[in-house]
Amino acid sequence: MNKKGAILGIVVISIIISIASFASSPSETYDLDMARTHGDISTAMGSPILGNPLAPITIVEFGDYQCHQCYNWFHNTKPMIMRDYIETGKANLVFVDFAFLGKDSPKASQATYCADDQGKYWEYHNSLYTSQESKIDSGWVNSERLKAFAFNLDLDMELFNECLDSEKYSKRIQYNSQQARDNGVRGTPGFFIVGPDDQKQIAGAQPFSVFQRIMDSMV
Amino acid sequence: MIKITKLVFQNFKFLFLSMIIFSSMMVVLLIISEYIFLEPYFVTHIPSGTEFGFFLITAISALSALVIPMNLFRIINLKSSKQKMSGSIVGSIVGSVAGACSCGPVGFAVISTFGSVGATATAFLTNYETPLRIIAIAILIITFFTTIKSLKIECKINFQS
Repeated sequence: MNKKGAILGIVVISIIISIASFASSPSETYDLDMARTHGDISTAMGSPILGNPLAPITIVEFGDYQCHQCYNWFHNTKPMIMRDYIETGKANLVFVDFAFLGKDSPKASQATYCADDQGKYWEYHNSLYTSQESKIDSGWVNSERLKAFAFNLDLDMELFNECLDSEKYSKRIQYNSQQARDNGVRGTPGFFIVGPDDQKQIAGAQPFSVFQRIMDSMV
Repeated sequence: MIKITKLVFQNFKFLFLSMIIFSSMMVVLLIISEYIFLEPYFVTHIPSGTEFGFFLITAISALSALVIPMNLFRIINLKSSKQKMSGSIVGSIVGSVAGACSCGPVGFAVISTFGSVGATATAFLTNYETPLRIIAIAILIITFFTTIKSLKIECKINFQS
């Protein structure tokens, strides 16, 4: 009788603990278009679209905020793509997180979506790539620094801190990283140029001439 | 020093080996470090801010191409011990491995295979890429001078005997 009582007690306690932990876990409800795809890639959980959403070409970038080649691409190639393709409405860009390099990488990606909650995704994204330090996991994107970047962009700090501390977007980052793996991305930055009829993959921080050649052949 | 270097490289076999080592190391390291891309088109570029990295790769390839054939010359022609060869091998390996990982396919493969241990290792190699390459160059320079010194002594003995 005592043995049965003990087992019953353990079962009841485990059920109560599971319900309590489920109830206290952060909610992960996003206002997203889950059907959004570009070519074969689901970009539903990726960034907002940069540029004209109706542009005939979409550049899907898979990146990690701690990757120095992503930094090189951001500073050397992206400005020319912005000038010649995105600002002219010929192409748009979606950033999808592939956070695999260090323990601080997923947190940095989560922070961008916390900034997106306040309409400042791209400003936050740009500030991370502008402030990138050469060492992985050196603390330059730890929680305190991520909050400091948000503060510099005049975000509502109460909302931002709550979002970041609760890890509201952790599953979103996992989903995006899985999209990268599923689409054969084997490093960052990785790109897909999705045109009206086909899509082409570019691996690495390649120069502007490569993007230009592919996109011009698609228009 | 020039005499000894000439002595080694006037032999076509060692000159050929040196050219093979230089070109293969240079091409492989430039591909891994994303100065050369093969797909979707063959393209070379040196992004601004990465010029020093390019210089270090060139220096490591050149020194490896100089030091490895000289040590092989010692071993083959003078029947010397293989001990001093290790300096050139270690220098070449350290120089090649530093920066090989990072965010490219090599780093991704290491992290995917070894998990957090792989991530720590790649982070170390990426974070200390430049100092590691400088250490590799220092090892290769030291090996070059010790090889020259030992070749001078061993050649004299051989010529006398």
